[in-house]
Formats: sequence, C-alpha cells, structure tokens
Amino acid sequence: MDIIKTISLTKDYNMGKVTVNALKGLDFSIKKGEFVAIMGPSGSGKSTLMHILGCLDTPTNGEYHLDDTQVSKFKKRELAAIRNDKIGFIFQTFNLLPHLNVLKNVELPLMYAGLSARKRKKIALEVLDSVGLGDRTKHKPGELSGGQRQRVAIARAIVNNPAIILADEPTGNLDSQSGGDILEIFNTLHSQGHTVVMVTHDRLVAEKADRIITIKDGLIENGTLT
Amino acid sequence: MALSLSQSIVVGLADFWSRKVRSLITIFGIILGIMSIIVVLALVNGVKEMSMEWMMQSGGLSKINIRGNWEYEDRKADKSLSLKQVNYIKDVCPEAVAFNPQSNIWAKLSYGSKKEQQLIVGAYPDYQIAETWTTQQGRFITDTDIRNKSNVIVLGTTIKKSLFGNEDAIGKLVGMNGKKYQVVGVMKYRYMKNRWASEGQSDNAMEWKNKNSFIPLSTMLIKEKADDRIWDFSVTASSPETSVELKEKISNIILNFKRGKPLMRVTSNYEESNQSDDNFKMMTMIFFLVAAISLLVGGIVIMNIMLATIQERTREIGVRLSVGARRFDIFLQFLIQTVIITTIGGILGVVFGLSILELVGKFLQMKAVASEQMVLTAILVSVGIGLIFGIFPAVRASNLDPVEALRYE
Ligand SMILES: Nc1ncnc2c1ncn2[C@@H]1O[C@H](COP(=O)(O)OP(=O)(O)O)[C@@H](O)[C@H]1O
Ligand SMILES: [Mg+2]
Repeated sequence: MDIIKTISLTKDYNMGKVTVNALKGLDFSIKKGEFVAIMGPSGSGKSTLMHILGCLDTPTNGEYHLDDTQVSKFKKRELAAIRNDKIGFIFQTFNLLPHLNVLKNVELPLMYAGLSARKRKKIALEVLDSVGLGDRTKHKPGELSGGQRQRVAIARAIVNNPAIILADEPTGNLDSQSGGDILEIFNTLHSQGHTVVMVTHDRLVAEKADRIITIKDGLIENGTLT
Repeated sequence: MALSLSQSIVVGLADFWSRKVRSLITIFGIILGIMSIIVVLALVNGVKEMSMEWMMQSGGLSKINIRGNWEYEDRKADKSLSLKQVNYIKDVCPEAVAFNPQSNIWAKLSYGSKKEQQLIVGAYPDYQIAETWTTQQGRFITDTDIRNKSNVIVLGTTIKKSLFGNEDAIGKLVGMNGKKYQVVGVMKYRYMKNRWASEGQSDNAMEWKNKNSFIPLSTMLIKEKADDRIWDFSVTASSPETSVELKEKISNIILNFKRGKPLMRVTSNYEESNQSDDNFKMMTMIFFLVAAISLLVGGIVIMNIMLATIQERTREIGVRLSVGARRFDIFLQFLIQTVIITTIGGILGVVFGLSILELVGKFLQMKAVASEQMVLTAILVSVGIGLIFGIFPAVRASNLDPVEALRYE
C-alpha cells in the first residue's frame, strides 16, 4: 500500500521576473513501512520536495496523495491539521525552541493536538526515554550536544505517532559518531514499522535505506533499490 | 483540536516571564495611563463627595438662598427684605417646606461671672428644617415664641459649655444687652471633618455653628434691633427638582418688590451643584481625552514592540507551525500575550495609582474615593487595549508561511 504517491508534481518559485522551476514533474510512490533515502546535489530540489511531502508547502501543479488523501488540493491552513496528525519532520538545524526545556519541546505537537498536560508529559517522557534522553528532560536545548539536540527533534517528530517521518539532512550538522547514533534510531524506527523518508548526501548512509531516489535539477534520475 | 484558551494563557505567561525586562518596558505607557486614570478619577470623586458633603451641611439640594446682590453697582440701594415682604412670600408659596429668614447680631452673653461674645441668630421655627439641625436637649424656638416675642434662647453646644460647663442650662437665665433670656434648649453638636485644619486648629469645619445661639426672630427685630430688615433668608422646597421652579417664582416676586432692579440674588443649591457637576464633567472629559490619547500611544507602542517581537520570533513560529500549530493557535498565542502584557500593566497601574492616592491622602489632606468599579474599569480598559492593539501583530504572526518562517535567520 502506497502511503505517498505523487503525480507530475511541480513547484515553481516566482522571483519577480524570473521563475525558478525547483521541481519539474515528479512521479513516485513510497510504500507504508518503507525506508527511502533521497539524494542529489545541492539545489536540486530535495528540500522543496520534503516541504511539500511534509505539508509545509503546496505544489504548484500535480498531485500529492498522502495516506489516500489528495492533500495537494488542500488549502494552506487545512494542512496544519495534517502536519500535526500524520507527519513528523526532522530538520538539519534541529529547530528546537531555545527557551523551552527538552520535555516541553517534545510536548509541543501533543499540546497542539489538544492532549491534557498529564498525558503529554507521560507520552513525551516515554519517547525521550526511547531516544536515550530520559535524563535530560529539564535541560534547555542550548545545554545539549548536536547529537542530543537532534535526538530531541526526533522525539518531537515521533511523539504524535505520525504516518511518515521526514528528515531533511538530519546528520548534516553532526559529526560521524552522533550521525551514526541518529541513523541507528532511524533504523530502529523503520524496524518498528514506521515509514521514513530521509534526505542525505552520504552514499554510505543512503545505502542503509530500502531504496534511494536521486533527484537532479528538479527531476528524478533513478529510483534504484539497494 | 486547537490549543485551549487556558493553554494559550499558560504559553503567554511563560512568554512574558521569559522576557521580563522587555515586557516591563513595554507596559510602561499602560502603567502610567492607568495609574493617572485611577488617581485623577479618585481625586475628582473625592472633591465631588466633599462638595456634596458641604452642600448637605448647608441645607441640602432643596434649599433656595436669598441674599443681597453685592455686585449691583448702586451701593446705597436697599439689598434686604422687610419682614412683611418675607411673610408675603411665605403666603404665596404654600408649596415650600420651610421659610428661614434670619437676622443676626453680635452680642455678649453672660451667666454668672462667665461672658461670651458670639453671634446671636434671630430665627423662625423652620430654621430646624432648613438647616436640618435640631436640639439635643429642650426645644427650639416655637410659633408661640414668635407670637409672644418671648425672651428665650437656644444655645449652641460650645457656647453652652463655656457659659455653663457641665451644669444643666435649661431654665437658666442668661443676660444679653441688659435683658434676661431663658435657656429653653441646647442644639446638637455639629461636625464636618476639616481636612486642612492646621496645628491647634479645630478639625471641625462646622465649629462656628456650635458657637451660635438662637432667639425668636420677632424678639430679635423688635427688642434688639428695632428694625424689620431681613438680610439673610432661605426657602426650602419639597424636592431638589421643584426647587428650580420655586426659585424662579421667588425671584420674580422679589424683582417686583425691588421695581425690576436685581438687588437680591436668588440661588438654588440644586442648580449650583449641577453647575459644579457640569464643571466636573467637563474636567473629567478633558482628562479622559488626555488619558485616552496616552493609552492610545501606549497601545501603539505595544503594537510596535509586539511586531518586533514577532519578527524576532519568526523562526519559532515556523517551528510551531511545522509541528502542527494552526494559524488560530499562533494568532491566539500572540493576542493573549499582548493582553497579558497590557493587563499586567493595568494591574500595576492600579496598584501604583492606589499607592499614590494614599500618599496624596496623607500629605495633601485630599479626599480620594477609589471605587471597586473604577479599579475594574481600569483593568477592563487595559484588557481592551491588549485586544485592540494585539490583533494586528497576531494576524501578522498567524499569516506567516511555515517554510519562509523556518528559513528566517
Ligand atoms: N523560497 C524560495 N524562493 C525561491 N527559490 C527557492 C526557494 N526555495 C528554494 N528555491 C530554489 O529552488 C531550488 C531547489 O532548492 P532546494 O529545494 O532547497 O534544494 P536542495 O534542498 O536540494 O539543496 C534552488 O534553486 C533554490 O534556489
Ligand atoms: Mg536542502
């Protein structure tokens, strides 16, 4: 069963006189439970694609079906609910809120999902435990290492039990040791049945995935299985 | 389900707390605005209440005063009424409740070896109604006293004390201008707090009244003065409202007596207090305008600071949106934060305002009346300012594009 399916997906950025065609028509699908790596040179449109897959942005043309819903028809404001419900997004730069402690950061999606404070805390603590940060809950992000921060971000991404986990260069800002730890977590998530889509520059990293999708100049080059 | 209101408030309070100094600077204008509203309103209320207290002490709102018009240029013109004229007015104005013509002299009262030079008032029985002042012991002057031109006297408490001490005065004879007057009553002690009393001065603004003594008006005019001129005359109407009409009527009668010359001034307490009410309204209005402008400026300052805050927190908004915050959640977060800031400003303004009032009360001896309603209004106003000036920044925040916001450096 396809959890993600795109048909002629395009994205244009209108920059006044020039239009940047960041995505030029992508057709691909990702099955439930699959671990997919997306590779490609800088500027090829990987992040643009991830933003659309993550419902942070809408395509200019084409269709995007997520979990059998055509979300490309949705208005921007309708996407918020889907983001909260179905998507866990992990950024290269972590994007934690610096003035909230680790626990509160992880609770954030649950708060917007409307859970009570007690339930939020319980679930967030469980998830933090599972990424090995059960003893850092009261720390502010600034007091953690890069690898730890990214683990907090992962905890935040999975706390809502999303349908897909999207990671845009999650190890890009990390040394190889902490990068390895992060990949380990993705592997575990995958083995637990989560669908994971991860952008990476590292072929060794990518080869851990079930499949690599290579993008170049806004087009898919190949979709080889590894 | 979106963020609940209570959660938004918690988030807003946390925001306020994590930016204490900035938040306090932001609300400075609101604090000042609300503080000055509280102070001025309380002082205006205090002055109003004081003038009302004074009005009540001088016979209440139904009273009409008739006195010589000393602004009239002809110095020699007769600016008094004859007793006959006063009685004529009484006859044609049956709707009035009390007639209180007076004729006063300064005289020395003596009892045994004690002597006191004080004001003696020749009065009608109606004096009690007109001045809402009665005796604490014995009786006041009666119609029989007036008819018989009796030599009876009613003493104020102070004069009674200085002539008789603790001795009972009723039935005793006091001397005045070579005649004997029998004491038939002692007035009640009259008191109104004098806020401006200096050291050693009585704190009773009504003390001079306690030094008055009263004899029948007929006795005064015939035995003491040998003329029938009335210089001081008041009429009490049945109500403040009817006093206006009665004032006009009496005014016309007197104008007729004086052949059209405005030799007498006829005024009603009701109209005068309305007049001063109007003045207060004017003052209050002007003040409110100033307060409104200062709050408006304070609101605009807050709006700008909130806009800057949102700019600064663009990335945070992007993060919140990316984890599932709806636009409305963001809108509410910043609106409530603005309201929290202005409300805290309002509360601080009220607290500072009330403290200032206490100082003013202590050092300036001003009466300040701060009502609960005023405090509530002030806080509601500050909530309102937060709502009004928070909307634009909150809308701006909630309209941010998630991807753009996340890219913001
Ligand atoms: N918000 C934007 N406005 C204009 N152009 C953009 C924007 N985002 C991305 N682009 C352009 O789209 C192309 C793809 O960018 P991106 O998806 O970030 O690539 P990648 O993540 O693969 O490095 C680039 O040419 C980039 O300059
Ligand atoms: Mg990128």
